[in-house]
Amino acid sequence: MELLRSLTIGQYVPRASPVHRLDPRTKVLATTALLVVVFLARDFAALGLFALFLVVCLLLAQIPVEFVLRGLRPIWFLLVLTLLLQVFFGAASEGTALWRLGPLVATREGLMQGLFVTARLVLLVVATSLLTFTTSPVELADGMERLLRPFRRVGVPAHELAMMMTIALRFIPTLVEETEKIMKAQMARGADLDTGGLLRRARALVPILVPLFVSAFRRADELALAMEARCYRGGEGRTRMKQLRFRGPDAFAAAVVLLASFMVLLPGRVRW
Amino acid sequence: MSTGDAVVACQGLTHVYLRGTPFEAVALEGVDLVIRRGECVGVVGRTGSGKSTLVQHFNGLLRPTEGSVWVDGVRLDGRGETVREVRRRVGLVFQYPEHQLFEETVFQDVAFGPRNLGLDPEEVEERVRESLRWVGLDPERFGPRSPLSLSGGEMRRVAIAGVLAMRPKVLVLDEPTAGLDPRGRREILEHIRRWRREQHLTVVLVSHSMDDVARLCDRVVVLHRGRVFLDAPVREAFAQADRLRGVGLDVPRVTDVLLRLRAGGLPVRTDCLTVEEACEEIVSALQAGGSAWSSSEA
Repeated sequence: MELLRSLTIGQYVPRASPVHRLDPRTKVLATTALLVVVFLARDFAALGLFALFLVVCLLLAQIPVEFVLRGLRPIWFLLVLTLLLQVFFGAASEGTALWRLGPLVATREGLMQGLFVTARLVLLVVATSLLTFTTSPVELADGMERLLRPFRRVGVPAHELAMMMTIALRFIPTLVEETEKIMKAQMARGADLDTGGLLRRARALVPILVPLFVSAFRRADELALAMEARCYRGGEGRTRMKQLRFRGPDAFAAAVVLLASFMVLLPGRVRW
Repeated sequence: MSTGDAVVACQGLTHVYLRGTPFEAVALEGVDLVIRRGECVGVVGRTGSGKSTLVQHFNGLLRPTEGSVWVDGVRLDGRGETVREVRRRVGLVFQYPEHQLFEETVFQDVAFGPRNLGLDPEEVEERVRESLRWVGLDPERFGPRSPLSLSGGEMRRVAIAGVLAMRPKVLVLDEPTAGLDPRGRREILEHIRRWRREQHLTVVLVSHSMDDVARLCDRVVVLHRGRVFLDAPVREAFAQADRLRGVGLDVPRVTDVLLRLRAGGLPVRTDCLTVEEACEEIVSALQAGGSAWSSSEA
C-alpha cells in the first residue's frame, strides 16, 4: 500500500511558484521540446547540462529533488534491466573487455552506453514529471485541448480527448484510494497478498480487481448522470471559466528552454 | 481502571500519513485507549478526526508511527504471524463493506475469510451457514445467489457475515448503518446487540450517529483532531452537551429533547438514552410538580 502512495509520477504538487503559474500550453510545448532534446543529446556532458537545467527548474518550482527521486522508485527495476541489457547485449559489444560471465562479455564501451541510456531514461521521467508536478490535471487538459484544436479539421476530437484525459487523471487518486480500501478490507478477512508464487499472487488479486471494476463502473454511471444533469453535451459552443492567456513569463520561459536546448545540443567541442 | 481485562490497548499512538512528503498529515497524536473485554465502545468525532485511522491499528492494517498497540496482551510488531493471529481475533468491518463483495455467490463470499484461515471444507460450510443466520439471512435462500443481485441492506449484511465467519473476539464496525434506510439501520443495530449478548463479543462502533451510539454503547470515546477529547460512560458523555457541541458534534435526539425541556423549566434528568426511558422521566417529572409548568405552557 505504501507503494501506491509513493507513486509520485503524474502527481500534482500545489505550490505558488513561477513555474506553476505558467500557461499550461507553454509547459506542454516546453516539455515536448525537452523530450526531443533528451533523445538528441549525444554525450554525457550534454546529459549533465540537461540534468542541471532540470534541477534549476525543480528548485524554481519549489519541488524537493528528493521527492522527484522517490518517484523513480517504481521504475528502478526497469532502469537496472535497461542497464544490464545494454551492457551485455548492446550494440557496442566490440571493445575493451571488462569482465566475462560465461559467453557474455561486458565491455567498457557497453558499460558507458548502458549508463548513458539509463541516464537518458531517468531524465525523460524527471522531465515529464516536472510537467505533472507543476500543472494541475484540469489545466493540463485545457492546455492539450487548445493545442489540439487546430487538428480538429482533420478529425481529431480535441475536446473529447481532453475530457477523457481530465476524467482519467481525476480518477487516478480515487481509484488508488479505492484499491487501498478494498485491499485492506480483504486483508482484514485474512487475504494474504504478499506471499506465495506468481500464480498464487495473481489469484490473490481477484478479490481486489472484481470489486474495483464494479466500483469503477458504478462511478462511471454516476459521473455520466451528474454530467448530463448539468447539461453537458460535448465541446460545441462550450465556454470556459478560466481563459488561457500567454503572458510575459511564458515568453521568457520559452526563450530559456530554447536557449537550454541549444546549449545541450551544441557539439561538445563548440560548447566549451 | 484495571487493564487486566484489556482486549485492545493503545499507548501514545501516533500516526502520520505520507511522512516526508508535501502531503504529510498527522492523523493521530498520542492516543491512549483501553478497550475491555465485553465492552461496547462508541468512537465518535467529525470527519477527519482520526476515527478510521485509529481502528485500522486494532488489527494491524496500519502500523503506528509512534507508540504501540496491544491486542490480547500481544504487542503488534508487524511480524507475519502476529498480524495473522490478530486479524483473526479482531474483525474489522469497513465503511460500505458491500463494496468488497467479489465472489459469484453469497456463500462463496462469506467463505473467503474462513478459507483464508485454512479450515477444512465442512468447518467452512458450517461457519458460513451460521454467520448468514446471525445476520438474519437464510443460507438456503441467499447462499446460491449472486451478492450483486441483493438489496443494499442485504449486501451489507452479507459483508458483515463475511467478517463474522472469522469468529473474531472483537468486532470493529466503521459506520455500519451509513446509507441504510431506517429499517435496515434498526436491523443492523439489533443484530449487533444480539451478537454481543450471545457471543460475548467486544464491539467497537465508529459512528457519526449519536443516536446509534446512545442506543448501543456503554462508553464513548470522542476524537478531535487526532486526540482523545473525551472518554466516558455514555450517560456522562452525553451529559456534556456543550463540550460535544464545541467540537462540532451533537447529542442524541433524546438528550436534545430533554435538554430543551429542562431549558424550558421542566426539571427532568437529561441522561436518558432511550425513548422509553425519556418518556418515563418526562411523565414522572410532570407528575412530581411539573404540572404547573405544563399548564402555564398551554
